[in-house]
Amino acid sequence: MSSYSKEVIADLVAGTLPWPQTRRVMSAYKDDDRFFKYVAVLQDRVEWKDPILLPVSDHLFICQSGDERVTKCECGHSFGDYRKNWKLKAHIIVRDTEESLREIYPNSDLPDPEWMEIREFICPECGTLHEVEAAAPGYPIVHDFEPDLEGFYRDWLKKPLGGE
Amino acid sequence: MLDKPASTLRIRERLLESERLMEETGCYDGITELELRNQDPLKFETLHTKLRAYCVSAREMARRISASPGVREVGEMVVAIYTPEGDAIALSNGIMVHVHTMSRFIKWMIRNGYEDNPCIRDGDIFANNDAFIGTVQVPDVMDVVPIFHSGKLVGWAGAVCHELEAGGITPGGDVALAQERFTEGLFVCAEKVGENDELRRDYVIRCERNLRMPIYWVLDEKAKVASCIDMRESVKALIDEVGLDYWMKISKEFIEEGRRAQLARSRQLTVPGIYRGHTFYGHVTAGKPGYQPLGDPDWLYNMPIEMEITTDGKIIMDFEGTQPWGFHSMNCTPAGMDGGMFVTLTQHMNFEGLVNDGAWMATELKLPKGTWTNPDSEMAATATSWALLLPAYGVFQRLLSRSFIARGFVEEAFVGQVNSPMIEMGGTSQYGTLFGMAHFECAAAGSGALAIKDGLDTAYVGWNPESDMGNIEIWEQNMPMLYIGRSIVPNSGGAGKYRGGCSFLSTWLVSKTDHLRLVTSEHSSRVFDNGGMCGGYPAPTCQKHRAVRNSNIFELAGKGAPLAHHTGTNPHRSELELRLEGEHVTVEGPYITAPHKTGDVFTHSYNGGGGYGDVLERDPVKTAWDVENGFLTKEAAEGVFGIVLDEDADGFPVANLDATKRHRAGMRAERLAKARPVSDWIASQRSRVEAAAFAPEVKKMYASAIKLSPRFTKDFSDFWQVDAKAAFGVE
Repeated sequence: MSSYSKEVIADLVAGTLPWPQTRRVMSAYKDDDRFFKYVAVLQDRVEWKDPILLPVSDHLFICQSGDERVTKCECGHSFGDYRKNWKLKAHIIVRDTEESLREIYPNSDLPDPEWMEIREFICPECGTLHEVEAAAPGYPIVHDFEPDLEGFYRDWLKKPLGGE
Repeated sequence: MLDKPASTLRIRERLLESERLMEETGCYDGITELELRNQDPLKFETLHTKLRAYCVSAREMARRISASPGVREVGEMVVAIYTPEGDAIALSNGIMVHVHTMSRFIKWMIRNGYEDNPCIRDGDIFANNDAFIGTVQVPDVMDVVPIFHSGKLVGWAGAVCHELEAGGITPGGDVALAQERFTEGLFVCAEKVGENDELRRDYVIRCERNLRMPIYWVLDEKAKVASCIDMRESVKALIDEVGLDYWMKISKEFIEEGRRAQLARSRQLTVPGIYRGHTFYGHVTAGKPGYQPLGDPDWLYNMPIEMEITTDGKIIMDFEGTQPWGFHSMNCTPAGMDGGMFVTLTQHMNFEGLVNDGAWMATELKLPKGTWTNPDSEMAATATSWALLLPAYGVFQRLLSRSFIARGFVEEAFVGQVNSPMIEMGGTSQYGTLFGMAHFECAAAGSGALAIKDGLDTAYVGWNPESDMGNIEIWEQNMPMLYIGRSIVPNSGGAGKYRGGCSFLSTWLVSKTDHLRLVTSEHSSRVFDNGGMCGGYPAPTCQKHRAVRNSNIFELAGKGAPLAHHTGTNPHRSELELRLEGEHVTVEGPYITAPHKTGDVFTHSYNGGGGYGDVLERDPVKTAWDVENGFLTKEAAEGVFGIVLDEDADGFPVANLDATKRHRAGMRAERLAKARPVSDWIASQRSRVEAAAFAPEVKKMYASAIKLSPRFTKDFSDFWQVDAKAAFGVE
């Protein structure tokens, strides 16, 4: 089975691993020790100490914060209990006019704002754009991911989380 | 271990026994131990590799028999080898979506007593293109032949080609105007079309008299039969070598191994839990010629998908909350939905180990009856199922990718496939003959971005991982249009840290015909039917058609004056309008109109993929390269990505890193100033929701979803704190 150094994983995650090497990683058998190296790489990237338990987006992580498990932005902003939809605690910009859609689509035909809007979910502290939803007006905000965190650590990683 | 040599049971009883054993043991055909694999793993792998080689080689040989540029150039074909019960053991590359749809076709014949009538004999050829029996759409015509050894049915060989002409109400294969089954074209419903390895003459005559371009269909039939015979003879020779009992046992073990490998791969690559996503599809036909008033002319579909990955590795996809089937061509049967699942899994998870029907057995699809995913009327049309399948399975790819990102396999995360609207055509060819064709250059859209790099430009579609647009010269041989442009569309990939792959646009001059019908399917501009991920934006919507009737292009060419070769980057005034005189037409798809003739100019744009990550993190140096090469415009680089570009001494764009940093800081500050708490926005929208103050098509969409789905109703009501039924007038 394959195994890579933490440095290689760090470059892979950052998108800076040279393409021929990336291609080999993609084609090879997968490295079973990836997860904890990946988490270690991400932990090095953040300035806070709460242990990362699971990445859920490019800059969003479920982490152990004291007794709580919360969804946290890379900047340190907490969106609260990881079981709740973090988007509901985010800030939002809605593009529901031709003018605002045109800012993102300068040269193309546009969707009809009566049929579709773009919702940008933003960290209120650092301004990172975490997620974009394209939805009909009135469509409930989607809860993207509800991980079975305990089951994952217990049954798949064989390292049950504390407090179980 | 249940040991079964070549069964003495009748095949229908054997199929039922196999299903019962799976039910009882949870393992395919009751195979609880991979005995032969454990005895000699090398022999096990070698034999499966041989089977795969039989398939790949048979497909390549058969493509040379075909007359269709779809099969010869673009590779719209797949072949596979099956167990007697119809489960795929090994398959070729190509349009793998059909490996499982063929499985359904074989099982359908078995369940319907074909062993007694019309009988299953050595040398028989069976064909099907009925999606309710087992395919995706009418142009996907499949042929299977039984494999007999020592007088016993020991398997099947099957092949599918996507036909470029199906004889429907509109020309081409994807019959855009079909609103019910009876307008979709020539149906072959699990029919015995040949005996003694030869197609029946009366079947060929039926094809010749009911298709606009029978040479495609008929020679594809011969290509498929040749590939099936080739695989059959190879399998028989292999059985001579290894013995019949061994074959019967190992062919089943291959499938059980495939099932176990899929579960293991889920546990290796993903994270258990519930994943959700959605996309939309808008259809606009009001006032367009030919549409029968059977349903609403304009409509909007929502496609919510909930995917569960269980701790044993099973993937369950649930479409509850989506829309009812309708009188349009985009409905899909469970066979098609299965096919979509199969082709997606083969691309994203089954990149090692054995690939066969076992992977599909490790999944479950929940397709609510009465929806477009599972129509409760078999009269529903499915001629352009891909219009909804592609966006839906694009969501599936994003859901899977979320799990790859969570697990750390970022190199596998992929924002997904997009709709790729196709042009269908027919009328009088440049040779003065009747013709019809689907233009398959659509098999090369832009892909979604990856989590570590940009998407593929003009090089991906979901249904065939070997994307190919075909050579211009080959297409020109087959239609009365000449290319005057085939260009990358700038900014057509969704914006993001990694942008989606760009699409391309073709510009044609209609030539040497006075009657060319052009029809597009799977197409409207009203909504995004793709999506971005982790902060990336969706790619632009499907673009409108721009055409010029009675243009002065010959006059301009005679003078050596500049022509228009693309539509340009000004959405309000195209290059066609700038350079050509004539009757300018801009039409939102689907394009259905009066025939074109020599001198007309027509454009068609394909779709790009969604972006990944925050646009303000995009690499400025890479962006300068993109601008230099026409993938992005300088205006988009600055306005969307916040990247300031200067010019070097030779006029090439170079990134100004300091200015970019300052500009992006300003954009970030502006973002923060503009954004407001989601809770405030929800509060501001509630009264609109309560009053159902939406466009009629949006309102209808909600009412339909609420009527069909208690879960959607509850989720909607809970989210907005309104009574959804009361708001939308649903009893």
